Amino acid sequence: MDNAALKAMFFEKYHGEEIRNCIQCGSCSGSCPLAPFMDYGPRQLFELAREGDMEDVLKANTMWLCVSCYNCMVKCPRDIVITDHMYALKKMALREGIQAPGAKLPDLYESFRGPVERYGKITDIQVMNRYAFRHPVDVMKNAFLALKLAKRKRLDPKAHPVKNLAGFKKVMTKARELETAS
Amino acid sequence: MKYGFFPGCTYEGSAGYKESTEAVSQILHTELVEIEGWNCCGATSYWSLEDLPAVVLPARVMALAEKQDFKEVVNVCNACYSTLRKAQDKLAKDERLMAQVNEALAEEGLSYTGSTKIRHYMEVLVNDLDPDDIKKHVKVDLEALIVAPYYGCQLNRPWGDMDDRQHPVMMDRLIETLGASVPTDYSAKTLCCGASHVMPYEKNCLPLVKRIVGDALSKGARAISTVCPLCQFNVDASQSGLDLPDIPVLFFTQLLGLAFGLEEKDLQLKKLLVPFKTN
Repeated sequence: MDNAALKAMFFEKYHGEEIRNCIQCGSCSGSCPLAPFMDYGPRQLFELAREGDMEDVLKANTMWLCVSCYNCMVKCPRDIVITDHMYALKKMALREGIQAPGAKLPDLYESFRGPVERYGKITDIQVMNRYAFRHPVDVMKNAFLALKLAKRKRLDPKAHPVKNLAGFKKVMTKARELETAS
Repeated sequence: MKYGFFPGCTYEGSAGYKESTEAVSQILHTELVEIEGWNCCGATSYWSLEDLPAVVLPARVMALAEKQDFKEVVNVCNACYSTLRKAQDKLAKDERLMAQVNEALAEEGLSYTGSTKIRHYMEVLVNDLDPDDIKKHVKVDLEALIVAPYYGCQLNRPWGDMDDRQHPVMMDRLIETLGASVPTDYSAKTLCCGASHVMPYEKNCLPLVKRIVGDALSKGARAISTVCPLCQFNVDASQSGLDLPDIPVLFFTQLLGLAFGLEEKDLQLKKLLVPFKTN
């Protein structure tokens, strides 16, 4: 997709058009706990999107560092649902196959989605095992912590599937079908 | 009082959250009946990856609650609470989404109307009980204990209808009801703990936890009280890398249990990483 099509998708499908109301005050970037590590703070990111520079927007690490604390949304004087726009940009970047260099969150989210799709629930071990496969160092450096947790019987090796797993899977399959059709 | 209970995936593996919640709810007669067949709420992972399935996951939990005749769904995790609230909000505002979600849920004979009220157990204790109902069970004098109430970010944001968004006082009041005290100016109470970013971005997230712990310490607290498994885990487990004195991080239910005179083993305090010493 080119910049114009991406902007149309963000503005229309994901209701990003409300960022037209942004007054560029920077309350979002100022209140964001991880803004210092972002390529652009939310304020700059929205300005780029408004200008139609969507490829730059989707290449940024900004939305992958968004931790969903909603502080920006509370502070925004124009009531822009900033966190939701971050979710939209993450989904768009993934669908376009664009990944910010060094962004590890897509792998973490995938490691979370795996057990949910399979069992309907997650355990810490299931998520960690999947994530370790992609980023062994991140998990290895926590080996000592894992030992401490195991010693306190806090790592459950068993899966606990939802009661009606077949029903759950049918619901999720239908949800995907409907999403693809729309 | 009887409530539908949504424990969420991390409840059982947390440091004594389950044990202390069960013990305390029994004493206070707030009956938490587990919603049968519940699934993961999807949390930030699904909001970040999916459109419809991200709403269907929390909607299924609420549809199960409706089917099982619960009027209220009680959460013990900030992320579960916020995810259910958010899905409910989106569904109330979007008829097409509502129709699609119900079409998916119909595969399992479920339907969602939005009739259940989404709550957090801490807020239930403060809003549904008289402080005297809690006070009459207090057996241990906690007067010397100063506890920093750490609410985390997602409990009251972005909704802000439970308490003040930046400076809530609900848990402050609960701690005082137990006879312990709170620092009056604990300004880190709604800051973010880093959530799941702590794993991939540990270095960037440590300063967040340092602020939460440092503020508690500098204001004289001897313990931190939390209402969310991930908050508790991050603030407890990250302390080894902070270069600050250790401070125990308890679930609010463990604090209640201590005040009610329950034993350490009833509250599974030994599962905490930074130990809490009762004397």
